[in-house]
Parts: sequence; structure tokens; C-alpha cells
Amino acid sequence: MIIRPRLTDHFGIHKSQAELDFAIQFLDEDLPLYVDPFLLWKSPSQQDQSLHTAITNSFNHLNYLCKKNKSDIASDTLIELSECKEVGLGLSKSRRGVRISATQAKDILRLFEIIPEYSQFGFTHFEVIQLYIGGISKDRISDIACNYLKSFLIDYTLEQCETQGIPTQIVSLPSIYNYRTNALDRNVKLRLPVNPHDGEPLIFTPKRWLRFAPWINFEDYFKTACPRDEIFNADEPIDRVRVLQYNRDNYDAVERYVQLKDKSAADCKNDPLFSQIPVLSARRKLAELLKLPSGKDDNADAKYEDYCTELLATLLYPHLDFAQAQSRTESGRHVRDLIFYNNRSIDFLDEIFTDYGNRQIVFEMKNVAKINADHLNQLNRYLQTGIGNFGVFLTRNPLPSAMYKNTIDLWSSQRKCMIAITDPDLQLMVDVYESKQRNPIEILKKKYIEFRRSCPS
Amino acid sequence: MNSADVDRFEKLAGQVLGLYEEMSILSKKSPNDAVNKFKLKFINRQLIESNNLLGEHYRPFDDFEEFDEDAIPQNSDVVFILSQYLQCMEKLRGDHVVARSGIWYWKVEGLEGDHMDEKGYTLIRSTKPKYLKD
Repeated sequence: MIIRPRLTDHFGIHKSQAELDFAIQFLDEDLPLYVDPFLLWKSPSQQDQSLHTAITNSFNHLNYLCKKNKSDIASDTLIELSECKEVGLGLSKSRRGVRISATQAKDILRLFEIIPEYSQFGFTHFEVIQLYIGGISKDRISDIACNYLKSFLIDYTLEQCETQGIPTQIVSLPSIYNYRTNALDRNVKLRLPVNPHDGEPLIFTPKRWLRFAPWINFEDYFKTACPRDEIFNADEPIDRVRVLQYNRDNYDAVERYVQLKDKSAADCKNDPLFSQIPVLSARRKLAELLKLPSGKDDNADAKYEDYCTELLATLLYPHLDFAQAQSRTESGRHVRDLIFYNNRSIDFLDEIFTDYGNRQIVFEMKNVAKINADHLNQLNRYLQTGIGNFGVFLTRNPLPSAMYKNTIDLWSSQRKCMIAITDPDLQLMVDVYESKQRNPIEILKKKYIEFRRSCPS
Repeated sequence: MNSADVDRFEKLAGQVLGLYEEMSILSKKSPNDAVNKFKLKFINRQLIESNNLLGEHYRPFDDFEEFDEDAIPQNSDVVFILSQYLQCMEKLRGDHVVARSGIWYWKVEGLEGDHMDEKGYTLIRSTKPKYLKD
């Protein structure tokens, strides 16, 4: 059993996200990141720049089709390009999105008619369509870009599969954009990795192209460059549609914004898939956590869990990728735990994988003064569900000696290992996170070694 | 002990004192911070050599040999242990020095080439043991 399974975990590739060039996809949901064409445009790599040119040229080819009275073909192509489920980016919980409507496609294509600049010279950054058409958001831009680059991304995926040893198989893709013919090739058979859960083909995207929001986006335009005084009267409610209409009538407002974004291109960076909280923030969270009383008074348990989640996800990165905080109810009790992917990046984690079979590591959070036998049983039962035989308690104080003895007995009889990370351990983890003298994960290793030394040999 | 051991001792004692002073500074700033592996490696190397030199008799603790890297020793732990070693080294020196006309000397077995007395001992200039009061 794997919680929030990722492609690499399924195929037994034990590498952390930090080590891989592509974004590791979840098998059951989308990654909340998007391909930003602007990152390709500003990239120092000629390859990325040419790919951006390819996207722009392909998009502007729709103008050519419209001018040649082939609007229907242009519209159908655009609709088909508007969703790219193989890359697994976006906000979908099920890895399935929907395409744009015919009306939206027509609205986009009409931009080539109503704005003379685009009609004559075409777009340089096609993502500005967000500023003209309602319902076109970041995931749409990302999907259109991915579809135009699909052929390249397939090659990239295969190359990564070969390097990392990810199995591929023959699949049939409904369509691939052909840059030579500027049309879609239908039912193309080729090799790709597939999602083991539903057999759907997968395409990888390089991490360096991903952002949480495109560099050029509506919210940013509205906040920084939109001449609101000209659109709305004082005290008038803000209406997105009127901004879009204004933009359509005032090409220069958008053009000025795009120029501004071009000039500040140096600030446009890809977003990491996970970013650690800063040291100061970690210190503050730890201080708050240490002040919390044990128990449930004043919601102390929920706060303890929240602080632990944020701290641990940061402290254990990049050695353990955070999977998720999950809740479950067991014997009428609400239990919250943290799940990390075990990518065997250091010897200790490799041992946990080899000796205890943990492909993921569970941290059960208990804001109690004393861990009792019920708590041990809870974690033990959870380990029995197949997560592996190693589990960690996050709790306030060291285990009482009777409970510690129980954990040793459990190791002796069933080779199950339960260790406790307490307030002083968290403190030490934050200390070393700040001083950089050791890795916080080594504190976990230390607790494990201490435990193993007390076990009978 | 012979004159070569004195040479070894003086080099080692100087190094351990240096480590102690450096670690004391760190420990005053953050006593509970962990010591990194690079420092630990060299501290342990000095401790092992000190153990050899001090022998069973002078070693501060018979169940401590060196720091365990995996136990994440903290600055204050290291300072604590190093100070014990310094004390024991001083004890060893105190047991091997003698005063002659107000000047303190190591009195140890001489080696070939040393200036030796009739019993084979040689004198090497040293200082008064720190634990002696004036």
C-alpha cells in the first residue's frame, strides 16, 4: 500500500524529486504546477527558446487558417489542444480535465480579427489570451503549450525513462501536433510509460518549465498594470468581464504590460515542487509548538499537528519527500499522521527499506503527555496495513519505560520498530537546520540507533 | 615514558588544547548545537591518539573511547570530554616532571642521542604542573 502514490515509487525508483530533472507525477491526481511558456522564452538554452518559437508559430498558424476561411479546422484544433491529461499538471483530483467549449475557441480565434496587431503580426506570448477571454486560466495555457510541444516531450520522457529505468510500453495517443504540417496526427502508436492504475500514457515535463502561475497572468495584470480608473467608476464593483472587454478594445494596455513583464524576465524563475520554510519561520513554529500544552485543551492537539507537519516536511527535505498529512479514525479516535516517501537516499533510509520494507514512512502525531499501550497498538495496527514495519511517534515526552520496553518486545517478537521523536529532538533538528552542522534526518537515525542498541542482539 | 613520548605528548596536548578552545567558543554560543562530521573526525582522531598515550591508568573514562558520529554529539558534550582529557594529560605530565633549581623538567628515559644521567634518564625543559599551588 502506498499513500498518494507517485510514478517512481510504483516502479521502485528510489530517487527524491530533488535528484530528478522531471516532475514526478502522482498516479491519482494532478501536480498543482503549470508549464509556463514564458520560462521557455527567457531560458538561456537555445533549445527552450526554439521550442517557445515553435509554440508561438503554431498558435499563430491558427490565424493563417482563419484567414484562409478554415476557421472550423482552427477551432477544432484549438479545442483538441486545450487539454493534455498525459502530463498530469493542474488541479484535477482525478487526472482528467475538460476541453474548452466551441464558443471559447471561437472567442480566442476572433482575437486575430478584432485586434489588428495580432491579425498582422501574430502573438509573441500567446498566454496573453488570458487577458482577453474569460475562462482561460493558467491550466489552459499550460495544456496548450504542452500539446504544441508534445512531440518533444515524448522524446524527453523516453530519454528520462531510459536513464531512470522506468518501463515503457506501446500506447496509442489520440493526437500529436505535427509542427511540419501544423495539424494533428491521429492515433499515433509509440512507446511511453503508463499509469499502472488506469493504463493511461504518461508524459513527463522538465522541472525547469514549471511555475504555480504563468509569469503573464490575469491576476498579476489586474494588480500591477490594469488602468482601473479608466475601466471602472469610483465605488463601482470590479467586474472581470469589463476588464477583458477593455483589453480587447485597448491593445496597447496589454502590450505595455507584456513589455513590462519582458523587462522583468530576469525575476521569472521556475517554482520548486517543494520549498522549505525559512529558518526564522522554523524557529518561530518550534517556539510556538514548545509552548503548547499536551492534550486537547484550546485545540492544542490540532495546532501541534499543524506545526509538526510544516516543520517535518521542511526538516526532512530533501532526504524524504513529503507525501501528505492524512487523517483516519481508529476505534472512535481521530488519528493524524504524516506520510513521507522513502527514497532510500541515505544508508539509514535504505536500511529501513531493506529491513522493515518501508516504501513510505509514517509519523503518527500524539500531543499527549504520555504514550500509552493504546497508542502503541494503534500505530502497530496501522503498520500492519502494509506500510512497512517501521513507524515513528511524534510526541511531547520520551516513552515511559514500560512503553519503551513494549516497543523493544515488539521488535524482539515481530521485528517491528517504533521510535519516538520528542520536543528536544525537534529542537535539535531545528538547531541543525539552522546551523547546517548536521542534517536533521540524522536525528531520526540517531533515535533509531539508540533504539536498536537497547534491543537484544 | 621516553623522550620520544614527550615529543608526542607535547604535540598532542597542544592540539587537544586548541580543539578545546575552539569548541568552547562554539559551545558558549550554542551549547546544544550538533558538531559536524568534519570536526568530529578530527576530534576523534586526537582522542584515539590521546587514549594510546594516556594508557589505562591515565584515561579519563574507561568506557569512553571516542564520539559516535551517529549519536550526534553536541558542542557542550565535546567541550566536556576534551576538558577531561586535558586534565588527565596534565596529571600524566605532573607525574613525570621534576624541579631542579626552580626549573621544571620532564624526567624520562633517554633515547640514543639524548643527554642521559647514569640511570639512563634525560631531562627536558617543562613547566610547573598546573595543579600545584605557588
